[in-house]
Amino acid sequence: MPLIDHNTKICDIVIKEPSTVTVLNRFGITLGVGDKTVATVCNEHGINPDFLATILNTFINKEYFPERIIDGFSADEIVSYLSKTNAYYEHYQLPNIERHFQLLISKSVPHNNNLGLMLDFFHEVKQELMSRIADDRDRWFPELLSKSRKTSCNAIKEVNDNDTDSIEDKIDDLISMMVIHLQGDYDTNLGVAVLFAIVSLKNDITQNNRIRNRIMRPMHEALSQQPQL
Amino acid sequence: MNQCVIFMNSALEASGLKHLLREQFDVQALIVPNAAQLNAAGDVDTLITDAITFAANVKSMLPRQSRTIILTHEAIANDGSITIISYKTLDELTVKLNKLFSKQDDEKAVASSTLSQREVDVLRLVVSGCINKEIADRLGISINTVLTHRKNITAKLGIKSVSGLSFYAMMNGIVAPQ
Repeated sequence: MPLIDHNTKICDIVIKEPSTVTVLNRFGITLGVGDKTVATVCNEHGINPDFLATILNTFINKEYFPERIIDGFSADEIVSYLSKTNAYYEHYQLPNIERHFQLLISKSVPHNNNLGLMLDFFHEVKQELMSRIADDRDRWFPELLSKSRKTSCNAIKEVNDNDTDSIEDKIDDLISMMVIHLQGDYDTNLGVAVLFAIVSLKNDITQNNRIRNRIMRPMHEALSQQPQL
Repeated sequence: MNQCVIFMNSALEASGLKHLLREQFDVQALIVPNAAQLNAAGDVDTLITDAITFAANVKSMLPRQSRTIILTHEAIANDGSITIISYKTLDELTVKLNKLFSKQDDEKAVASSTLSQREVDVLRLVVSGCINKEIADRLGISINTVLTHRKNITAKLGIKSVSGLSFYAMMNGIVAPQ
């Protein structure tokens, strides 16, 4: 879809890109938006419209690279958004997948060992994602906020600046296991529900990795080059 | 049914060809020393021989359902019923064999996503934690061949992480669940 700006209607964004509803939720914007524009909704919710438009454009468009990161919005805004994203994974998406997986196993033919092993693999993926969330909470985000307030802080070790990471690879593998290698009898509807939940998580992580790599990390680099007090 | 049988006058040449097929094309070939053992092998996918052996054992060679490849250093006229590979150097032989066996591999890949025995061997070592060099040493193959096997495994299974491969191996009884 065309680039989002202050005059774009929120309803047009959600209808063309339904996955953005989770992004809007993280800003406190819920369904039932009427025909209000980005500027109007942001004014009502006390949100920086430049920041919301940048987040949405990065989330939707693979080719979009935001400009004016350091003077366009603050570290607090990006940390707040990514913290809410992590909370969504931790408190909604991961438990949702796990709940559906366990239901799928309980409703399937006993001794379908394949599903049990897939759940074990999901737990490994979950553990890795939870470690990244903890690292964000305990190290990355405080570091970024500290730098933005120009207080002294320790250097953050370099991380791979790439739009894909091992968590995405493993979720892709989990999807392949379900689509290509699932064996034995199982509840079809629950199988589809588990698959959709995993694909939804994968897409959200992929799109938010763009936000991490194209907004958070450049902001950190820019702040690191500024003299500390 | 055996995939490929080599019946050649020179045992040394047959041995070298067997090694070449295994290393470059993941083809496990069986060397037979005489016509009796060739007949005992029955119909195979591919029979590779040389011009002298072919001429001396025509009755055993024809008619066959398998693809027959004659390796020769001479230019020989061919009516198309058999494949004649004329070559001067090892590189030339490898290139010409590649055209034949790559096509065969592609057809198999489309027909089935199951792993070859060699790929299973590589997968087992990957999930046991071996690095590529260790896998190459243990299987007696080059690192490039290991990389090719790993690429093919990922393409066939749609799984690229080591832990994902480990769970696939457990699901399919290739390794015991931990």
